[in-house]
Amino acid sequence: MSTLSSIGLVAKREIKERGKSKPFLITSGLTALFVIALIVLPGLFGDETDTFEVGSLGDGNTAVIETAEILGNTGDEAGTEPSVRIEEITFDSREAAEAALAEGEVSVVLVDGTEMIIEREEGVFGGGSGPVDLLQQAAGAIALEQVIIESGESAEAVIDIISSQTLEVTPLVEPDGDTDAASAVSYFGLLLLYMAIILYGTWILTGVTEEKSNRVVEVMISAIRPWQLLAGKILGIGFLAVIQFTGTIAIALVTVRLFATFDIPEISAVALINLAIWFLLGFLLYAVLFGAAGSLVGRVEDAQSAAMPMTIFSIIGFFAGFAVLGDPDGVVAVISTFVPFTAPFTVPIRVSLQAISAWEYALAVAITVVTIYLAIRAAGRIYAGGILKSGSRTKLREAWRSADG
Amino acid sequence: MLKIDSLAKRYGDVVALDGCSFEVERGRMLGFLGPNGAGKTTAMRAIFGLVRPDSGMVTWDGSAISDESRRRFGYMPEQRGLYPRMKIAEQVTYMGRIHGMSAVEARSAADGWLDRLGLTERSDDPLETLSHGNQQRVQLAVALVHDPELLVLDEPFSGLDPIAAETMSAILTEQAERGKAVVFSSHQLDVVEDLCEDVAIINEGSIVVEGVVKELKDAAPIRHVEIELEEGAADVLSDLDGIRHVSQKGDVQTAIIDAETDVRVLLLKAQQTGAVRHFTYTTPSLTDLFREAVK
Repeated sequence: MSTLSSIGLVAKREIKERGKSKPFLITSGLTALFVIALIVLPGLFGDETDTFEVGSLGDGNTAVIETAEILGNTGDEAGTEPSVRIEEITFDSREAAEAALAEGEVSVVLVDGTEMIIEREEGVFGGGSGPVDLLQQAAGAIALEQVIIESGESAEAVIDIISSQTLEVTPLVEPDGDTDAASAVSYFGLLLLYMAIILYGTWILTGVTEEKSNRVVEVMISAIRPWQLLAGKILGIGFLAVIQFTGTIAIALVTVRLFATFDIPEISAVALINLAIWFLLGFLLYAVLFGAAGSLVGRVEDAQSAAMPMTIFSIIGFFAGFAVLGDPDGVVAVISTFVPFTAPFTVPIRVSLQAISAWEYALAVAITVVTIYLAIRAAGRIYAGGILKSGSRTKLREAWRSADG
Repeated sequence: MLKIDSLAKRYGDVVALDGCSFEVERGRMLGFLGPNGAGKTTAMRAIFGLVRPDSGMVTWDGSAISDESRRRFGYMPEQRGLYPRMKIAEQVTYMGRIHGMSAVEARSAADGWLDRLGLTERSDDPLETLSHGNQQRVQLAVALVHDPELLVLDEPFSGLDPIAAETMSAILTEQAERGKAVVFSSHQLDVVEDLCEDVAIINEGSIVVEGVVKELKDAAPIRHVEIELEEGAADVLSDLDGIRHVSQKGDVQTAIIDAETDVRVLLLKAQQTGAVRHFTYTTPSLTDLFREAVK
């Protein structure tokens, strides 16, 4: 029987047994729900129309209120719900209007288009975008209108002028839709990689420790090589990881299309491939190390402590990724590019932001690939030595010495 | 033929194997005996590469054991272990496939063994739901599923009830008759005596006795004597020459004596002491041989 078919058998068992296990189904379900909630909920809460009731006493208020409503909605896109709606509630007496204001039935009372009654002056923390400011601007616009009408302009033209950005803005860096989208995708990718390493790394870790603690490994290793068992396990769990992740992303895309109020950023194929390459490199590097760590402990309870170095490295990588998003050319960015444990987190971001040179990229890939190769060799040896040792904790050196390279 | 040749293995200051050598031929069954900590498990694990000996080697049919030949071996480790949540039929099938069988072959062999071991109804149950005894049976099925040429079992009889032990005996005998090489360790010397033609006794890491059980008994420098008198318990043997070990159980006095001791002297002494109800003079039992070998 060939090496490949041994690895394939182990991977297949892993996929089959783990794929139908409760933890897998539960994490899959929860992740899907989480993603759906993340996309749908802001849409439900964030895009409502603000409605204000404005009391009206005397004449000349309607024009101000209508103008205020137009001003409040100048930023809206065509075809969407208006941001602001102002309802006019007419009162007969000042007493009735003030009573309604005190009761909170109206948020402000307009008198004869010239006076505004409010409950109290806004404090330091008072809002600036409520109906008060809008009405103030509207009244100003109407007053201005009178002046301008005399020189032959219309009210609409006045409002246009007031609400438009009169000063031309020149950004130093031209806005680039591709780069923005790419950095959004990088951010998402960073998060996914970190989650994948922690979640699936832990699966590999505990899977290896379980095999050791329930001694099935004796039977397995009597038939196949330790590294074949480890490789099969990593491939099997890696496959499930890809299934769970692509499933989650597919659910996210469908949900966005159905419910969301924002667009999916356009992603170039190159950016996607780059992301996929580094996702694989990062996952592979950490997976083999988690596997080796798992072989050193005899009980699942001890597994997390054995995995501490990997957990710390991945957290450092994650935060380095954030630093690089803010400063893609900085010291952190350059150093983390050449450290194999952080490169998978930061290099894709630097690529997306076009802040990495070709030689840096090539060197980063080379360093990481070489490290993965060395890690596989080392992990295979540590695993082979550790997996057959009994006791709750095997020393790294002891495991290393008791196996062939 | 399996040949264990001068294996040595040391863990720090502890010597596990010290020049251990023995052979198991096809069609024969070897009982591998030794006190606790003598090196039985270490020697068996070395066959499967689970222990890397410091020196010495293990060969199968004259050549060093390859990955390929190891897949034609069946192994029941001392510490039983399988996947707890995997269904037993799937588990046995999987182990068959790991040993190189096709999916169809493995499934049918697994079903056959589960049927033979009375586990067909439990085929779709996860291993962890089975009783300890039934888990042992599954472990045996795993060792046998790929029809191995060599069967290595570490304490296969431990924890079995008499019925299960009988099934185990029948299966092992049948495997040897079918031309397989079978080696198992055990502390149940009576079982080994009943089952095995060949025996090897290991003590402190090296083999102290090896050979065909019957020949060993005949060639042993000791004989086994039992005497019972009408009058009840009496000490007949203690002060005679050539007596190695005497014990009294109820009315029966048992002794291990030098083989060259003249049995007629013993009988005479017994008749002088009282009326003899029972007198046996036999080659030593395996237990006697074992005790002599490891003392």
